[in-house]
Amino acid sequence: MSKEAPAPRENMGAPVPRFDARLKVTGGATYPADIPVADLAYGVLVTSLVARGSLAQLHTDKAATVPGFLGLFRHGDMAGTQPPKFGVAASSIGPLHGDRIFHDGQIIALVVAETYEAAMEAASLVTAEYDEERPSAGFDTQGTETTPGAGASPLFGEDVHAGDFDAAYAAAPVKIDEHYSTPTQHHNPIELFSTTAAWRGDQLTIYEPTQNVTGWKTELSRQLGIDPNRVRVISPYVGGAFGSKGPMTARTAIVAVAARRLGRPVRCVVTRMQAYGTQTYRAETRHRVRIGAERGGHITAFGHEGWEVTSRPDAYVVGGTIATGRLYAYGSVATHVDLVHADRNTPGYMRSPPETPYVYALENAMDEMAVALAMDPIEFRRVNEPTREPIGGKPFSSRSLLACYDEASKAFGWSDRESAVGSMRDGDWMIGMGCATAVYPTNIAPCAARVQLMADGHARVQCGCHEIGTGIRTVAGQMAAERLGVELTKVSVEMGDSALPPAPVSGGSNSTASVCSAVMKACDAIRNRLFLAVSGEGAPLAGAANSGMSLGNGQVIAADGRTVTLADAFATLQTVLIEEYAEFTPKGASPQALKKLYAGQPEFRGGERDDAVKYAFGAELVEVRIHTLTREIRIPRIVGAFAAGRIMNPRTARSQLMGGMIWGIGSALQEETEVDPRNARYVNKDLQDYLVPVNADIGDVQVILVPETDPQVNPAGVKGLGELGNVGTPAAVASAVYHATGIRVRDLPIRLDNLLT
Amino acid sequence: MSSAPIRNEIRFLLNGREVTVRDVAPDATLLDWLRLDRSMRGTKEGCAEGDCGACTVLVGKLTAGGLVYESVNACIRFLGSLDGCHVVTIEHVQPVGGDLHPVQKAMIDFHGSQCGFCTPGFVMSLYGLWMKDANPSDATIEKALQGNLCRCTGYEAIMRAARAISDYGKGASDPLAVERAAVIEKLTKLRDGARVEVGSGKARLVVPADVDDFAAVLEAEPKATIVAGSTDVGLWVTKHMRDISPVVFIGHLEGLRRISEKDGVITIGAGVTYTEAFDLLSQRIPALGELINRIGGEQVRNMGTIGGNIANGSPIGDTPPPFIALGATLTLRKGAERRTIPLEEFFIAYGKQDRQPGEFVEAVHVPVPAKDSRFAVYKISKRRDEDITAALGAFHLTLAADGTVAQIRIAYGGMAATPKRAAAVEAVLTGKPWTEVTVEAALEAYAQDFTPLTDMRASAEYRMLAARNLLRRFFAETQGGSEPIQVSRHQAA
Ligand SMILES: Cc1cc2nc3c(=O)[nH]c(=O)nc-3n(C[C@H](O)[C@H](O)[C@H](O)COP(=O)(O)OP(=O)(O)OC[C@H]3O[C@@H](n4cnc5c(N)ncnc54)[C@H](O)[C@@H]3O)c2cc1C
Ligand code: FES
Ligand code: FES
Repeated sequence: MSKEAPAPRENMGAPVPRFDARLKVTGGATYPADIPVADLAYGVLVTSLVARGSLAQLHTDKAATVPGFLGLFRHGDMAGTQPPKFGVAASSIGPLHGDRIFHDGQIIALVVAETYEAAMEAASLVTAEYDEERPSAGFDTQGTETTPGAGASPLFGEDVHAGDFDAAYAAAPVKIDEHYSTPTQHHNPIELFSTTAAWRGDQLTIYEPTQNVTGWKTELSRQLGIDPNRVRVISPYVGGAFGSKGPMTARTAIVAVAARRLGRPVRCVVTRMQAYGTQTYRAETRHRVRIGAERGGHITAFGHEGWEVTSRPDAYVVGGTIATGRLYAYGSVATHVDLVHADRNTPGYMRSPPETPYVYALENAMDEMAVALAMDPIEFRRVNEPTREPIGGKPFSSRSLLACYDEASKAFGWSDRESAVGSMRDGDWMIGMGCATAVYPTNIAPCAARVQLMADGHARVQCGCHEIGTGIRTVAGQMAAERLGVELTKVSVEMGDSALPPAPVSGGSNSTASVCSAVMKACDAIRNRLFLAVSGEGAPLAGAANSGMSLGNGQVIAADGRTVTLADAFATLQTVLIEEYAEFTPKGASPQALKKLYAGQPEFRGGERDDAVKYAFGAELVEVRIHTLTREIRIPRIVGAFAAGRIMNPRTARSQLMGGMIWGIGSALQEETEVDPRNARYVNKDLQDYLVPVNADIGDVQVILVPETDPQVNPAGVKGLGELGNVGTPAAVASAVYHATGIRVRDLPIRLDNLLT
Repeated sequence: MSSAPIRNEIRFLLNGREVTVRDVAPDATLLDWLRLDRSMRGTKEGCAEGDCGACTVLVGKLTAGGLVYESVNACIRFLGSLDGCHVVTIEHVQPVGGDLHPVQKAMIDFHGSQCGFCTPGFVMSLYGLWMKDANPSDATIEKALQGNLCRCTGYEAIMRAARAISDYGKGASDPLAVERAAVIEKLTKLRDGARVEVGSGKARLVVPADVDDFAAVLEAEPKATIVAGSTDVGLWVTKHMRDISPVVFIGHLEGLRRISEKDGVITIGAGVTYTEAFDLLSQRIPALGELINRIGGEQVRNMGTIGGNIANGSPIGDTPPPFIALGATLTLRKGAERRTIPLEEFFIAYGKQDRQPGEFVEAVHVPVPAKDSRFAVYKISKRRDEDITAALGAFHLTLAADGTVAQIRIAYGGMAATPKRAAAVEAVLTGKPWTEVTVEAALEAYAQDFTPLTDMRASAEYRMLAARNLLRRFFAETQGGSEPIQVSRHQAA
């Protein structure tokens, strides 16, 4: 059955295929915009053509003449509701709450009509006049405002420091001081963004792809000024998220208001082009990295400064210095992050938000340092492997980076690499081999889950988490099957509905850890009830010690080998169903942690917040080929070895990591949203010009799961890995490009033009 | 005037049923119709621009060779163009009364989906492939999947699934195999030789009965938008909201779908798709076969026509430069009148072609290069597949007995406002010995021929350097030194 799945190694679960695979291959999986809703009207957004100023006039007469036109919602029509609150909401900009234009592509109206075609036509007939001001597009444009990142966001308290960087750097015999940059990127999940709002009386149901049903329910009810219990957010399947569906955008409340006003359900599917300005994106960043080292390779000083573009009103902080400052055994560390406010929509989380740009800069700099030291780049990392992280002096709960490098090197054949730059060639192709480290914090948050076990061996798991493609539905089911000793095929899992027990936002790769911990807790409560019942006086396993009992094959098994079937065990309880509702809170959580979970504001632990630093690591090795005449770049192969605690399902894990590395290749070579500096407008707003990797770009991709056991990280022993795979790839590619050509590219993506000599 | 009877409705088969649509806008897409009118939501929308393949369905049509199914992008396929076809969606893949199709089983076992949004599209593309070739090579699979994007899986798992399909049974209960005879019969019945006219005034579409009828329709309505494969026009609608009415659909016209060779000249009817042209072109002019494989994805090649590529007049259309280098001519027709012009004269300026009102492109005539001449075409793009050209160069060289250049024709795309010949470079080379010295000396003349632009695909400097390097490359290849540039990744690896 499970063909082509990697064989589980130590501390890994069964590589079962995903629960929902069948639905997906038959077209039966319903994504929010597929859900049938009676009497549906269709909404189309009208967006701003200027990036800064105010809306002077909106001409809507022509639109209103289109047959089927139902209504138009604009500035003023959100009266009586609250503007969004940045945090759970993607931005504090409430586009219809005022006439101010904060960025290009901002929503200025929603047109609703009987049919999609009519709404499209009416929307195309709306014209606007603006009092236009000169916008700032981002770095290097006039009129931006720079503010410190430290303290600007609850997720980024302060710049990290250790020791006396200035002195150590000044004294270092070998050093570099370089600048790096990463571009704006858009998530571009293949599913289009959409909102469907339906009122039944005063009860609102939202169908929208989301990574945060509970948070959205709370924030939306706050905006609409209604009781959270009157809002339900449903998102059974999500067609790719990568962070884009974490924060709730302004559209959700606008569509809800329109539906209420019209007395009809409204569905608004956003065009791919409009998504660029109405959703979030990965902020462009710039970096200055200084590294000083002894001649033997020991780093004595590490300095990392970052500049990040954000919108005018919101302090979205990327802030990857938290991780880069802790990655190696630096003697001293100095970091600083600045935000550059421009006339842009507010950026947001995109697959490993802090690490992708910051670790790229660090790892590219590490490669430069290795060159300066004339050391093998892997050896250079080995020399700087820490026993404790340099900032707080805490141990790592587990750290298998070197094991990852060992396994990856072996599989890749790193020893065949000739160290001299430009020394490897195959006909007209220059060959380069490079490497980089991947790192991602293991986050965890409070989570609730309800589990039912039936006397016939069926189990049911309910949790308001989100199946965004990661396989969490399957993995949560596996956890229940394992703890309850039933077959996986007898477990059903419900997710993606705010009416279910609350789970944290599916972001920061916390879901597997948080959800599995809650499911495990509920299962264990069921076990305890069963164990108690069957071991009581006169019961089938009378006298058996509960501690030695287990569940398996639909039986309760005592330590002495006696067994009782589930049916008989349930009979002793005179029931056919046991239900447990569990609330999991991670170690170190505050007393308000649970309350905050229900309020959609989950408190995160893990990462560097606990007594030990909890990170997952990986090593990525890549080969590039560059054509001597055209400079076309190809990546024939990439090997990544990753260690992430207990691997619940090697099949889904491998798939996540593989997809991640492909993302990394896209980041290295293709992905960039271009911004026109004159009008602060995105240029390449479609999949024709925003290039994501296609099948043929991808050569051989090998994922190695390195066994790692970490009982300290969380009860389930798992580290998230959905955002690990893409972290190291761009720097590994840059390293390989340098090795092939001697050209150091510091600005992503690496373009053909960069390689002209 | 043509005497074809007139019908006022579109008729086609949808999965197992015949449907008749009377009320259809000329710019209504198959995808919107499926999802919104028919509530069949297994087919997904990911871009509405032909880029992602989430909307892939199969369209079966009767051809000279029988009933043929091809994958197409429902998002840019107009409903009106489906008259007389069989539309097959993801809802129709499971065997009747059976479990899953081998394609679906393989996709499950090899973990070919994560979020699953792209999956129906991949299943349909693989289904289309499997019908033609149950044991495809890697290169064939890659070609079939070029037009499908997946943002989650990284493709490897999908490739493995594709390789394994035939391990999951022969698919004797495959619905399209089971129904084949019945479908042929039904489609044959639907062919009534009528002209279809739906709508009136501006919102009007016409499906002419035959080529003569088309000529008549166009003469009567010279402003009508001609739609062949709709891979360009589809985007005018879905992306640029252009009003294209009235529309004349021509993709079905047998009279324009012929490709044949006579006296060393290949004549390609304007309605011949890339897929249909592939066999003959790749056999006779292999470099063109290679090039076609890098145009769009499979769905776009199944729909898009060479005539449309030329008529569209884009400076980055891929077929005009090599055709110009080969000395192709173009036949235009208005009513019963025809004229034939050198292809390069068709392109006057950006967005302007030598086409009179009421006139249409009937065919392009491409001379097969002589045995003793050399021909090559190189496409440079950022992404290996399904990417628009940054620069494209085509070279056609004939040497005299003494090793001097008797004739060289060089044409580029992406270097000017139209596909353009490098006349100054040609002049420098002609009559000179074909040597490295001559080639190097000719590079300067590029500045006279081209002043390329900088855009997000490439900078002006890069384009200029790449254009020059392509000549160097061509020279090197004629010396027997290097292998061709467009090696596949397997060759590169
Ligand atoms: C995803 C995608 C990828 C693509 N990739 C490439 C690529 O790599 N390289 C490339 O060159 N192109 C590419 N294209 C563009 C397009 O596929 C080609 O230009 C195609 O050949 C157009 O043919 P068509 O039949 O679809 O034309 P249509 O869209 O039907 O028509 C195009 C134009 O030609 C006119 N026209 C069509 N037939 C005639 C006729 N007989 N007489 C007069 N006028 C006529 C139409 O009125 C219209 O102006 C791509 C398109 C998409 C959607
Ligand atoms: S929806 Fe993307 S190709 Fe059709
Ligand atoms: S599985 Fe998500 S886009 Fe392919």
